[in-house]
Amino acid sequence: MSFRTKIFLSITGTVVLAVWIVAAVVSTLVTQSFERRDAQRTASLVNQLQREFDRRGKDVARRVEAVAESDAVQRLAVNFGGGQFDASQSFTEAQALAHEQSLDFLELVGPDSAIISSAEWPARFGYKEDWLAQPVDWKAQGVFLKKEDLADGSALGLITVRSVTAGDKTIYVAGGQRLDKEFLDSFPATDGVRLQLYTNFEPLPSPESLGSKLAGDLVQDVRRQSRELTRVNDAATITAIPLQGRDKQLLAILLIENSRAELASLKRYIQGTAGAVGGGCVLLGLLLSFWTASRVTRPLRDLAGSVREVAVGKWDTRANVGSSDEVGQLARDFNGMTEQLVEQRDRMIQAERVAAWRELARRLAHELKNPLFPLQITIENLQRSRDSSPAEFDEVFRESTTTLLAELGHLKTIVGRFSDFAKMPTPQLEPVDVNQMAREVIQLFEAQLQAPGRPRVETKLNLAADAGEVPADPEQLRRALRNLVLNALDAMPQGGTLSIRTSRHDGKVAMEVSDTGEGLTPEECDRLFTPYYTTKQHGTGLGLAIVQSVVSDHKGTISVQSEPNKGTIFRIELKASV
Amino acid sequence: MRLPGWASLALSSLVISNFLTGAVRPRYGGTLTIELSTVWNKLDTGGFDSALSVPITETLVRVNSNGELEPVLAVAWQHDPDFKRWRFSLRPNVSFHDGEALTAATAAPSLLAALKPKYGEVSIEAGGQAIVVQSDREMPGLLEELALTRSAIFRKSDANPLIGTGPFRITAWEPGRRLNVAAFENYWGGRPYLDAVEIEFGPGHGRADLFDIPVGPAHRIFPEGLATWSSAPRTLVAITSTNSDVTLLQALALAVDRAPIANVLAQHKGEAAFGLLPQWLSGYAFLFNSTPDVVRAKQLVSSLRSGPTSLSYPANDLFLRSVAERIALNARDAGITIQPTTAGNANLRLMEWPLESNDTADELRRIALELGASDRTGSMDPAKPETLYQLERSLLDDHRIIPLLHLRQTYAIAPRVHFQPSTSGTFALRLEDAWIQP
Repeated sequence: MSFRTKIFLSITGTVVLAVWIVAAVVSTLVTQSFERRDAQRTASLVNQLQREFDRRGKDVARRVEAVAESDAVQRLAVNFGGGQFDASQSFTEAQALAHEQSLDFLELVGPDSAIISSAEWPARFGYKEDWLAQPVDWKAQGVFLKKEDLADGSALGLITVRSVTAGDKTIYVAGGQRLDKEFLDSFPATDGVRLQLYTNFEPLPSPESLGSKLAGDLVQDVRRQSRELTRVNDAATITAIPLQGRDKQLLAILLIENSRAELASLKRYIQGTAGAVGGGCVLLGLLLSFWTASRVTRPLRDLAGSVREVAVGKWDTRANVGSSDEVGQLARDFNGMTEQLVEQRDRMIQAERVAAWRELARRLAHELKNPLFPLQITIENLQRSRDSSPAEFDEVFRESTTTLLAELGHLKTIVGRFSDFAKMPTPQLEPVDVNQMAREVIQLFEAQLQAPGRPRVETKLNLAADAGEVPADPEQLRRALRNLVLNALDAMPQGGTLSIRTSRHDGKVAMEVSDTGEGLTPEECDRLFTPYYTTKQHGTGLGLAIVQSVVSDHKGTISVQSEPNKGTIFRIELKASV
Repeated sequence: MRLPGWASLALSSLVISNFLTGAVRPRYGGTLTIELSTVWNKLDTGGFDSALSVPITETLVRVNSNGELEPVLAVAWQHDPDFKRWRFSLRPNVSFHDGEALTAATAAPSLLAALKPKYGEVSIEAGGQAIVVQSDREMPGLLEELALTRSAIFRKSDANPLIGTGPFRITAWEPGRRLNVAAFENYWGGRPYLDAVEIEFGPGHGRADLFDIPVGPAHRIFPEGLATWSSAPRTLVAITSTNSDVTLLQALALAVDRAPIANVLAQHKGEAAFGLLPQWLSGYAFLFNSTPDVVRAKQLVSSLRSGPTSLSYPANDLFLRSVAERIALNARDAGITIQPTTAGNANLRLMEWPLESNDTADELRRIALELGASDRTGSMDPAKPETLYQLERSLLDDHRIIPLLHLRQTYAIAPRVHFQPSTSGTFALRLEDAWIQP
């Protein structure tokens, strides 16, 4: 990951984190505010419902009171008191009275607690309502909840009781309204509020029928605890109010579900706005991050480019010093460093030149001194012979001139070598079969190797069939190969094995010339291709330099691998012909 | 057949006699209006109501209030010793409403149609005013059969579906809506007092001279001064079932408290029934009387593993609906869950079973046929009441029917309407005996 990317990501992360923290804080504060408002609204609703219940209760009491004071009931009481009661004439009375007073439940009950007439279950006449026989001041009792048995099950009723006395007989009027969904639906509608009633004598409703799992769990909890509970989830605040009968048994649970849709909507709006603002901030942060990262890292990138330039040898490269900060100082230091490096390089080149000239002078002196000394001896011998023995002078003269010519030839050879190295021609490339060339070079040395008295050198050709051809100047390549073979033979004065191996891989052809001589030290390997460097007493130090020059002119590479006492391998790699 | 003396006494006690008076001399003329809650879509000889007789047709003989057979269209009869051949002499100078004279030839077709269902291959020889009925089977009860309204003599025409010889002739007939009859001037027994009778079917307004009061909660406000007349209990209200568990029915029979149903729901217009036939008809119904036994019913139910049972009642019948609800309530006390319904596929059926005749054996035979036990009627001998009791007992022991009530039919009668005490002493309101005081 680049330095610019790191800076970019760091700044971006910082911006995103900051925006997220701000959004979270705002969201939390808004949520808490709405939670308080939601709780207040739920409490208000509960109060409103309780007031509505009270109002309905008073309404029920008024209607039942009206029934109790009706002529029909008064007449019924009188009939009872006078012993003229005929059940067949009265058992439908409650239905008419209930209809008249819009009551869902109405029972006229005799002094013996037997039902005279029942509006909700007409067939139930004659059955006992023992609970009415209790000594209770029913008017003071007011309105209460009661489970009413019906022909098709049970229902919850908001009930009140009035007694009517005639003589020593008292009959009871128990009436009320059904507390069901229809009853709840008649309550003043409030947006976002849903009322549900679960009656405890019905099978436990499924969460689906109650609208949510939360409501289902709440009903279970209230059934266990018999106290008002409130639960909240994302969708709604649900308050469950236990509805108890006269003897405190749990008859029903009223669920007030206050929708949090408005809150959720507002939260969504705030979150959306925060998201948009945050997104904008993040986007702006990204742009700023990008710009900042680019601006901050540009000098570094320039400096890195300068470093790369220097690395490829452009020592005169200078970094742009655009600021006075740490990066500017770094650029200045880099420029100072490169200046020093250039100076040191120049000095080194100068030194190396001097050393090379010295080495050349030494080599020239050494090479030229060897033939010059015999020349001097021969000429002095010739002078002495003419002075001391003129008779033999001719013989000496002939021998001396022969020697002189030989040595001059030797000198000429030396000069030619130096001349050749100085004037390496441009290679004339043509396809060259490397295997064929290896065979020719070995064949060239066969006679020399088999000369009598010469230590035995075994030759091996390990040529790859697919080695193929390389684009090369055949003369130069042959010369390079010959020099390597000569070098190998020189390395094996006591004899050994000379091997030439060819191979091809990755579009390149390799030629290896190896010997089993004494080998070279790593230091010798490092300097092996330096011109005029030799490890031999009679060498010019140009053989391997010429090989390297040829290989270099052919865009190839040469390497050496050697270990003392194990021999040396020279490896030439050239690009294969297509 | 002869009715027991206690039956006659019971019937006579039902009559509120302020309109059966001879204190005022009968007058001819006037039109009597009638409203009947029952809807008749078809005219037949059976009339419209088992307690209200609209005499359009007549039978050869009839049973009077003493249970004795007396001549109507037949003035004399003889039979051979083995009751296979009967000879009847028809009343002379009798004509149908269209003027056709009553002869053996005109009477034979309807007679043959009436006797065939019961006696199978019956041959009738008609000659002048004599008619001979002959069969390979013995016909000892032929006179009782001929006394039934279904054995009435009548004819049909394209214009008139029922041409009889009775005191009234049809003047207008709209099935399900109305029937108008007029006095038959040439009636052999003398012209009836009323000029005409107009009968409307369906829910009326209670403003007619005579209307029936359905059993159950009253939904009408009746004008003051109306007299009421109730028949003897003539309709059996019962629960029937063909596919319910016998033990369940046995438990249900024990659980149902019939007295509140009769006294409150039926408003005293019925009697608790434990037998199939009312006491006045069978004379032994009291032997079946029992009291509710919820404890025993619970014991029986505890051995059952049956689920809820449905009890159907006719739609729009408020009385049977209230009875069904009461039964469901009683059943619940015994641990039986019964759901009243108007659906036709219920396990139990609450139904009304009107008596069609005053013949105990005939009614028992009809009930046995309905219950799929007609094979048991062979041992029944109308002359031996114990065989009738044994048959009814066996039908009850099958627990395919639970008798609940025997209902009376009650009519409201306007003060201007009077009924001349019937010479025949039958138990129905006979329109030929009615007259209107202007």
